[in-house]
Amino acid sequence: MRVGAWRSDAIYYSSVRAVLNHRSMSSFHDDVPQPVRVCWAKVELPKLRPEQTEALTAWIEAGRRGQIIMPTGTGKTEVAFAAMRETKIATLVVAPVRDLMYQWHRRILGAFGYDAGIVGDNLFNIKPITVTTYDSAYIHMDKMGAGFGLLIFDEEHHLPGKCRREAAILSAAGMRLGLTATPERSDGLHRDLDWLIGPVVYQMPFKSAKGSTLADFDVVRVPVALNDLEQATYDQCSRVIRHFITSRRKDLPGYTWRDLCKESGKDPKARHAQKAYYLKQSVEDRAAEKLRVLEDIFRLHNGQQILVFAGSNAMAIEVSRRFLVPTILSHTRKRERLAALEGFAKGLFTVLVANRVLDEGVDVPEAKVAVVIGGQASTRQAKQRLGRVLRRSGNARATLYEVVCESTKEVERSRKRRRSDAYERTLHRRV
Amino acid sequence: MLTSEHSIVEYKAGRAIPDRLTQNTHRHYMDYAEKMLSIYRNGIGRQRRRLHRQIEALFADEADCPTRRIQAFCKLLDDASVFRTDPSGKAARLRLEVFSRAACRHPLVQQPDRLFEHEERKVKAQLADGFGTAWDQIEQALYADVMAFQQLEEFAGYCDPGALLSRYNVSQLQACLYRAESMTVLATDDLKTILRYAKLARLLHEIKRLGPSKYAIVLAGPASVLRDTRIYGVNFAKFLPALLACKGWKMTAILQTPWNMRAKLDLSEKDGFTSHLPSLEEFDSRLEESLAKKFGQARDGWQLVREGEVLHDRQKTFVPDFTFSHKDGTQVHLEIVGFWTPEYLAHKRQTLRRFKHHRILIAVPEKSLRQGASIGANVLVYKTAIKLNALIEALDRIRIKDP
Repeated sequence: MRVGAWRSDAIYYSSVRAVLNHRSMSSFHDDVPQPVRVCWAKVELPKLRPEQTEALTAWIEAGRRGQIIMPTGTGKTEVAFAAMRETKIATLVVAPVRDLMYQWHRRILGAFGYDAGIVGDNLFNIKPITVTTYDSAYIHMDKMGAGFGLLIFDEEHHLPGKCRREAAILSAAGMRLGLTATPERSDGLHRDLDWLIGPVVYQMPFKSAKGSTLADFDVVRVPVALNDLEQATYDQCSRVIRHFITSRRKDLPGYTWRDLCKESGKDPKARHAQKAYYLKQSVEDRAAEKLRVLEDIFRLHNGQQILVFAGSNAMAIEVSRRFLVPTILSHTRKRERLAALEGFAKGLFTVLVANRVLDEGVDVPEAKVAVVIGGQASTRQAKQRLGRVLRRSGNARATLYEVVCESTKEVERSRKRRRSDAYERTLHRRV
Repeated sequence: MLTSEHSIVEYKAGRAIPDRLTQNTHRHYMDYAEKMLSIYRNGIGRQRRRLHRQIEALFADEADCPTRRIQAFCKLLDDASVFRTDPSGKAARLRLEVFSRAACRHPLVQQPDRLFEHEERKVKAQLADGFGTAWDQIEQALYADVMAFQQLEEFAGYCDPGALLSRYNVSQLQACLYRAESMTVLATDDLKTILRYAKLARLLHEIKRLGPSKYAIVLAGPASVLRDTRIYGVNFAKFLPALLACKGWKMTAILQTPWNMRAKLDLSEKDGFTSHLPSLEEFDSRLEESLAKKFGQARDGWQLVREGEVLHDRQKTFVPDFTFSHKDGTQVHLEIVGFWTPEYLAHKRQTLRRFKHHRILIAVPEKSLRQGASIGANVLVYKTAIKLNALIEALDRIRIKDP
């Protein structure tokens, strides 16, 4: 009453309006700026599948407010795009990590021909359609709370955290869409999603994941791009290899990688090509952006135990040096290994980085979040890694992040890994 | 010494041809060798990884150079170097300390904001202050124990480029022989030296006399030994330089190829490998040394003779490690066996029967005995050292039983 008026959080804007309307107090003034309408330059969306249409309809019928729960890989993003197509209003998309935010940006450009604004990653560029992360949404919502008519929360289970919920509370947007595969949180805060976003309006049934030996869990793939220098190196290496192989195949049509290796002792060009191949691998393995994604994931899962699997000793050490977290490498001595494992189990260390050694029968403490930032596609490895993350303890959600370099071999490997039967029981996000 | 991962062998018509760089075929490698030595000589303080990259870069445009050869050179150069290691686990302790202090500030972010205030740069600077040093110093020390990051402290090196190349050639030969099932050495003048080194290396051996001062020594190869193949392989490799430094010999080795076939390797003094007799310190002769020292010249009526005589029985030859003579005139020969296989022991028994008019005591390491192995009266079992009391007891037992 300090200002001589009733006050309320922006989230209640719609309900306050509705009540005032209902009481036919037609004389009230609404000074809240209205979100702008948008006109799509083009709309290129794939035809929705029946269950996607069903989800969209349910959301619209619920007053364009609510949560849609669909397993990973069933096209949540497409439903979100369809919602945007229907609403044609200023929209803020909130993604978990910066690289997924950029992915939304790219996909919006592809679907609507719209170059969305970005808030986050040192950018503050608000446009009628803007993408952001949970952290940036919380930090900047006071400056943009009134501008949007629709909020889309990707992986909505990150929203109810102590601070991040502010993003939903400080916005006047009347339309809200939450997307997730599994809303449950171990702290029970997911119940607050009902008022932060709206009730669950659609839930696609899980078929096989539950109750199987592998608990149901999320596989979130985070694509990262190589930076300019890395990309230049990578492309240069690709050219060297391609050039060499093509020139050889002119004379020997069946020329393979094995032939190249055999020849590498006799021909410096073959050896160059061989070296280029290993350099490519190492560029992917140690892409600088992976460290940035890790920072985001550590932010997102603050307070949770996280296992990080690196593809090489070098990368594991790099992560350790950047974040000052313990590593377990193949040559780590027993004493240090035990100290690191024990510290992790007790919660002294929240992160443990391993190269592939944790694959073989090491008793790893439980964790509900694992990040794979490199490594070869191999069924057994994948299984072991997953099993470890998913070892059952309570019913807290488990998430596996796969950080892969975009448009390189790693994407293929990630696909290959997914096809392995360890993953068959789970449902995936399709990128 | 190289490992089998460095080995380059060509198998051709049943013969094994280990990689060899000669004046005729690889004259230009002298230049490379010179440059390699200078990289290491000027590389004090550099990390191992960096040195290896420099060596690799040297060969970037060389037409004739398999990757394994480069790796082998790196290994041989490393072998002649001293790197700063961390035997007391200082780096590991530092890591735990740093990570523990940083744990409460996790996650270290690049851009602090209202949610996460611990900026990587600042936290690291603060931590460094706590240690009273600069962060760069800590970061360098943090993983200093990882092989690739170890710094070169000293490079004893090879006296000249030729020495490095000779060492390379011998090393490839050694690595090739890790695959040996057996080796037969025909020896003449230098029999005793060859035999001495074979014994120092504790190789399983059998000696035949072919004629006056003409002997065949048959050695079991690493590929035939059932247990401790790795240690045996290293010992086998150690023996080779000694053989190469001797005169008047020929040898044939039977190798197992990677495709499980047999291949032969012939070698003689004439092949011109350069080598020196290895120093005795390279061998683990502690057992013999300490026994001789402990026993002294004489004890309890027994006298010790170091250089045992060579015993002949037609073609069979037996060379004991020690001979003990009792004042009553009894002589007992002692042979110390380091490795053995059931076949080898069976063979030894046969030899012993041949020489039954001699009194022979055999010392066998306990760890190589199979469970329930029957130990004869003339077998002495030892753990890490031969105990004097047990030895004298055994000597007396043989003397009295068999007057």
